[in-house]
Formats: sequence, structure tokens, C-alpha cells
Amino acid sequence: MRLAISSYTATSAAGIGLSAMANSIASRSSGLRPNDLPECDLLTWIGRVPSVEDTCLPHHLEHLQSRNNQLAWLGLQQDGFLDTLNQLIERLGADRIGVVMGTSTSSIGRTEEAYARLEQSALMPEAYRQPEVHNLHSPGLFVAQATGLKGPSMTISTACSSSAKVFASAARWIQHGLVDAVLLGGVDSLCLSILYGFNSLELISPDPCRPFDVRRNGISIGEAAGFAVITRADLAPESKFELLGYGESSDAYHMSHPHPEGKGAVLAIDRALKRAQLSAQAIDYINLHGTASRANDLVETYALAQCFTDRTLASSTKGWMGHTLGAAGILEAIITLQAMANDLVPGTLNCDVPDPEFRFPILQSNVVQSIQYAMTNSFGFGGNNATLVFGRIHD
Amino acid sequence: MIELGVFGLGIWSPGFSNWQQFSTGLSKGDWLSGGSIQAVQAPIGELRRAPQSVKMAVEVMRQACEMASANPADVAVVFSSSMGDMQISDYLCHTLSKTPRLVSPTRFHNSVHNAPTGYWSIATQSYAPASAISAYSHTAPMAFLEAAIQAFEEDRQVLLVTQEGSAVPALRVSCPSNQPFSSAFLLAPLDASSSPKAIIRLSVARESVDWPELPRELQQDFLGNPGARLLPLLSVLALNESQEGRSTHNETGSNSEGWAHLEFPLSSNLCLKLSLISEPGPS
Repeated sequence: MRLAISSYTATSAAGIGLSAMANSIASRSSGLRPNDLPECDLLTWIGRVPSVEDTCLPHHLEHLQSRNNQLAWLGLQQDGFLDTLNQLIERLGADRIGVVMGTSTSSIGRTEEAYARLEQSALMPEAYRQPEVHNLHSPGLFVAQATGLKGPSMTISTACSSSAKVFASAARWIQHGLVDAVLLGGVDSLCLSILYGFNSLELISPDPCRPFDVRRNGISIGEAAGFAVITRADLAPESKFELLGYGESSDAYHMSHPHPEGKGAVLAIDRALKRAQLSAQAIDYINLHGTASRANDLVETYALAQCFTDRTLASSTKGWMGHTLGAAGILEAIITLQAMANDLVPGTLNCDVPDPEFRFPILQSNVVQSIQYAMTNSFGFGGNNATLVFGRIHD
Repeated sequence: MIELGVFGLGIWSPGFSNWQQFSTGLSKGDWLSGGSIQAVQAPIGELRRAPQSVKMAVEVMRQACEMASANPADVAVVFSSSMGDMQISDYLCHTLSKTPRLVSPTRFHNSVHNAPTGYWSIATQSYAPASAISAYSHTAPMAFLEAAIQAFEEDRQVLLVTQEGSAVPALRVSCPSNQPFSSAFLLAPLDASSSPKAIIRLSVARESVDWPELPRELQQDFLGNPGARLLPLLSVLALNESQEGRSTHNETGSNSEGWAHLEFPLSSNLCLKLSLISEPGPS
């Protein structure tokens, strides 16, 4: 069964909505800024979406108030996404469209705020007693209530591969006939747990992140909301792109360090290619995980060298908005689709001198080129990997 | 509609540390008092410093694979919990509510929802796909559906875990769980040579249903635990192994459509229908 991507939208520090992001990428202007998150004194750069805290949830969603859900709401407003979705709901019915969201930290920022205000009894103050917010499914509950979708709904949380894996689950649901379409996506927002947590692992950079550069010294944390509708191709004949393959794997190596030879990454890539029935040679562009951590970037080039030749362009786009964690999978899938739509392959922002230890060439500058088949990699803590393959649909 | 075999089961809670003890408890009312997860037989080493949530999950996964005689490295995993590890969330949020904000790096990397599948992958040297999901109060039946569809569509063994710890005070607002509970199901498509413990036919219907009742003696411990919502299914499977159980399901109506039927809500408007359609083989 062919699976079409019928609509999509993305919001991150690189831009609110697709055209703002396209402008940032074309002009190579980064959305990273010195850390100005309230209550956070870490010396680092962050990919903060400026208007999240000013985004008001409509009255019927106020009980779901959290920074993460504000970011989701802001993201849903862009690119006419909700209008297009409403047309699909009219055609298919709200209960034939599922919801599969990805997140790393859900609404834990709101839980942090509540803990800073706990009452003597160790209970949350009244305003923070939000059962549907303080749990991992908060993004799925929010999106279902915000859109009126009535199909099956779940949230995948596998750290930084979360919103890549949503494509695999959504594809299985549609292939099985459980639903006709799925609204999938990912939302992760800046919070203290993530900033101080990655700081404790000595993984955050004091500078804007420099993916694949020889001087790279850690990640920049970002936030993002991305959404797409995936459907049986016959239900969306106007679609330009399709999901051709997905590959999921585990590293069996370490909780916070990638397999030293990239074994899990290679398996995810191989499984995605096999499902897409494509050879590695066919892939024109790969949007890499490329976090700018010392280990990830080196190991990812090892994995690439085992699978691809240098005819395949490969870049990391995290220099534009940082590592958006559980939202990185969907965000970078959308960046990949946009590269195909605009015939503009993004290079690797902030990569000035590639590490000589690398075993695969990294694209530094933007390149104008038509792409037929593209791939994106997402790797998470716990050694959890997901790779997606997209193709252009011919008229 | 899907027909799948249940090839292995695992279960752990302070009152029963494996399938045999759970079955005995149900049929004879004979429960453990205050069992400790420190006693698990799960592979040690990597797990020594793992949190209780990981030990619980790995223990039930090990049990289910052992019952099914399955190679752990061959099975895909779907781990599920509504809240994730509440002890770690509680630790992180308390630590971050005061200065200096010194977070333990180990507890931070253990805070990811997929920590149990990560440790499992390392302990069993499994490169198989692993997912970790939540669907809030509907987590357990939603995870069952997700695992079943994956087993069917990918034609492979899938190991499902449904679990929840006991709630910390502040998070009881979202999850009033009194006792930790973990269970595992090894699901796989049927083929001519397979001998499952039970065969389940499953479908999704546009119906609003209530949760099936938990066994009466387990209600106080597990009514607020979203990971324990499949206990009515586990109970039917356990009781069926004993003579008393056989007469029980005969009374409730054995017929060609299946000898037991259960319905679990997936949301306010959808339900998961499960029918057990043949006698399980000898264990």
C-alpha cells in the first residue's frame, strides 16, 4: 500500500511555519540564541521559539495549559494545516483518523513549575492539578482535543527517535486498516529537566552547536512542533511525497552513548532501504541526526561509510534550531520534504572544518539539486534508532 | 480483525513475583506479602544500577520469553506506561525546584521512557525494534493494540509490557496508583507449527464501554494503576489453567465464537474487543 504525506507544518527556532523556515535555511541564518530561558542560569545557546509563552490556548483547551501544549497549538496554526485537516475530517470522518505523537519530555516543564510551588501537603496547587497534562500522553491528548480527531491516539516516547518512529506506527495502522489516515507529529519544549540533565552529562555546548565540525563541543537544546498527515495514497491524489520506508533498531550497547561502530544505525538504515525496496545508491540526500556531540557525529559517519557512496549528499540541520529531541524526527522529516519541494539541499550550518576522523563527506554549503529519494536518521538514548525514506510522487 | 497467539506471559507485583504465584493467588487466595524486585532473576551486571521500573519490566520480559522458549534477541518490544518512572520524575522536579540544580547524570539518562527497552536490548544483545508508548489512562489496551498490529503487519514476535509504579504524592493527580505492577505478553502470528498458550481474536469497535472489573481481591491494590488494566485478561488466562477455571469459563458461556470475551475502552468512543478462541495447550 502506498502512503502519501498529504500535508505538513513545522515550527522551531528556525521559523514559525514552513516559509519562515525555508527563508532561514536559504539565507543560512540560525535561530539559536544565548540561553535566556527564565530560571535557567546555564551558559549555553538554545533554540527557543520566541512567541510560545505568549500563545493563548482557546478556552476549551485551557485545562491543558503547558509550554509544550502552547508550542503544539502555535504549530497547529501554521500553513493552513488545520483547515486542510478539517477538509479531510469531513471526507473520512473524525474516527477514521488516528493520532500518533512523539515526545521526549511531554509537559514535564509544567510539572517542574508545579513542584516549585508544592503545598505543605506535597500536593500541587489548584491551578496545576491538571490530570491530562502531567503524563507522557499530554501531546496526544492535546492534539486530539484541539483537532477533534476521534481515532485511536497514542504518544511514542523513545527519547530523540520518538517522532521518527511515529511514521512507522502510523504506517502499520493504515496498512492494517485500523484507520485511513493519521495525524502524526512531535512536540518537545525547553524545560529545566532537559537543560540541566544534558548539562549533567556534559553534553551541552557553551557555543552555538557545530555539527560535524572538528571543534564541535556539544549540543544546543531546541524546541519544536511538527505535524504531518499520512494517508492511503488513493485518498490524497494531490500529494507530492510518499513514505517509502522506515527502519527501527536498538543498539544493544549503552544508555547514553552510541554503538562505537554504528551497528544499530546501520541496521535502521538497512531496514528502511529494504522496506523501500531501494538500493543505498538511489538515495540522493540524507538529513543526519548530527547533534554536534563528539560521539554521535563521528559514529554516524562510520555508519554512513558502511552503507553509502559519496554520491549521496549528507548534512545536519541542527545548526539552525538546535537538537529538538523528541520533535527532531518529525522536524527533520519535514526539512527533508521541503528540500525535495524546493530543490534546495541544506548544508550543515556552523560546520566550517569537518573532522578529519570522519569516514564520510559532510555537505557544508547549501546546494541546488533535485531530489528523488531522501532519508532522515534519528537516534535516541537507550540506543533507540529510526530511519525514514521518502520519495517524490510522479504525476 | 487479528488472530494472534499468546506464547508467553510474565507478571510481577509485590504480591506475586511470577505467573505461577499469580495463578495460585487467584485460585487459592494465597498471595505473597511484600515481595521485593531486588529478588528478580533478570540478567544482572548492566541492571545493577537500574531503577526499579527497569528491573520490573526486564523481569516480566524475561519470564514471558522463558515461557515461550523465545530468544529474547529475536523479539520486538513495545513497552508501555502512562506516566513513565514517577520516582525519577519526582526526583528531577524536586531537585530542579531548588538551587544548586545538581542532577544525577545516571538518573537523567534513566528518565527516558524507553529506559526499560534500552537496558533489555543491552542485557539480551538485541538489535530488534523497541518502542515505548503512553495513552494516559488507556495505555494498556492501546499498547496491546499497537503490539498486536506490529506482530501482525511485521509478521514477527512482539513482546508487550504494560506497567506502572506506585504514585508519588504530587503525581497522584494524574495517576492514583497504589502498588507497582508489571505484565508482559509475548504475541506472535499463528502458523501451523506453533503451539500458543492461548489464541486471541482482537478487533476495534466504535463503542463506548466501561472498564471490565478487576478480580475483587486485587481491586484495592490495582484499581488506580493504568498498567494493571489488563488484569481481567490475565486472570482469565490464569484461571483457565486450573480445573476451577475451566468450570468458570464454561459457566460464562463457551461457544464457537470463543470461550471468553473482554472489552476494554481505548477512548471515550472506541473499544478493544478481545475473544479467546480456543483452549490453551498444556503448559
